Amino acid sequence: MLLCCILTIGARAQYAGYTLMADSGPFKTQFATMAQKNTSLRCDFVQEKNLSVLSEKITSRGKFWFRRPDNVRMEYTQPFQYLMILANNHVFIRDGQKENSVSTKSSKLFAQINQLVVDCVRGTAVNNPDFSVRVFEGGQTWLVELTPVAKNLKDLFQTVTVLLEKKDFTPARIKMLEPSGDNTVITFSNKEQNVALPDNLFVLH
Amino acid sequence: MWRCLTTCLCCTRMALTVCTIAVSAGCSSAYRHLRPTGGDVTCVQQFKPRLGSALYKTEVDVVGKHLSGLLVLKLMPDSSTRVVFTSEMGLTFFDFEFARDGAFTVHRIIEQMDKKAVIKTLRKDFGLVLLEHTAGGRVLTDGVNRYYAFPQEKGTNYYITDSSCAHLIRVEKAGRKPVVIAQMLHYQEGVPDSVHIDHQLFHFTITLKKLEQ
Repeated sequence: MLLCCILTIGARAQYAGYTLMADSGPFKTQFATMAQKNTSLRCDFVQEKNLSVLSEKITSRGKFWFRRPDNVRMEYTQPFQYLMILANNHVFIRDGQKENSVSTKSSKLFAQINQLVVDCVRGTAVNNPDFSVRVFEGGQTWLVELTPVAKNLKDLFQTVTVLLEKKDFTPARIKMLEPSGDNTVITFSNKEQNVALPDNLFVLH
Repeated sequence: MWRCLTTCLCCTRMALTVCTIAVSAGCSSAYRHLRPTGGDVTCVQQFKPRLGSALYKTEVDVVGKHLSGLLVLKLMPDSSTRVVFTSEMGLTFFDFEFARDGAFTVHRIIEQMDKKAVIKTLRKDFGLVLLEHTAGGRVLTDGVNRYYAFPQEKGTNYYITDSSCAHLIRVEKAGRKPVVIAQMLHYQEGVPDSVHIDHQLFHFTITLKKLEQ
């Protein structure tokens, strides 16, 4: 029985085609160096929310912009219109005709969730103290597994896994697994790095 | 946002108590003029959303605070109905089940919303538009429209149609006066294209607009 438990625990977070890095130090250093060089990112994304028990999938699409140090614009275009801008410690949201601004300082949970997205893109996710981190190496991508440490985040996520392209350390996919078994997968495509992104992209007009 | 709703719901209870006292003092019922009339009380069942599954863009407004997300309504193989609300970015806010036998189960709810008053309100609101507890009713009329009245644990749910029961005009949850007014509009293949739930005693509205995937 003990052996079964050990095998279960050991197998829990293995990923097919990936090997756990015993020492993630060199990866972190390389990630941080490459992320410094990536000053901006413009790409498309497809988001799939999988409701496990209901066997339902909600698919949405849009465009994503990132500019160092921490400006993010995420614009959903299908099947609904929804714009979220993270800038200057605020989250600006346009939902249809309604606009909303939330200080990430006043809403810690909102800040933590959004910080996660920013950290995944700019290369600081591996240093986020809200998560314990393990790194796995695959053929074309690195897999970074983030497990929440804080209780409020544990309630929301079981794990967050980020696939990073080995060639340029840009995110290929982010998967957020909830305790219920539901998950959300965001897949990035048509990536353009280090393009000039104007200030007005990160301001809600 | 949800703290706001909890506070409002507590205030509403106080308001209801005051109203009850006022009613005892002579406040009359908004439904007093209704008279029994003939008709088949089951005819409102045609307005029960005929779900496979439906996805709605959803907006919630509570006393100046705004929240939006996506709502999935799905009829499960065991004939229960699941109501799942997520953020646009995919985070599940709540997952409710309305069983065929009338039982209600909270499968998941985030800590910020996990308040008895919030769950009770949402249960009643969604129960209203899913036509839960619509047995043993009676048909009334105001001379123009028909009121299909279904007694609840507290108060009555009224499904108000035209005289021929062809169109659902609105739904009211009421004691002596409407507490919640809901509209279910533009049915397509048995499912309303939009739903609007409006609480009368404080500013709390839920608006659903169907999305095609």
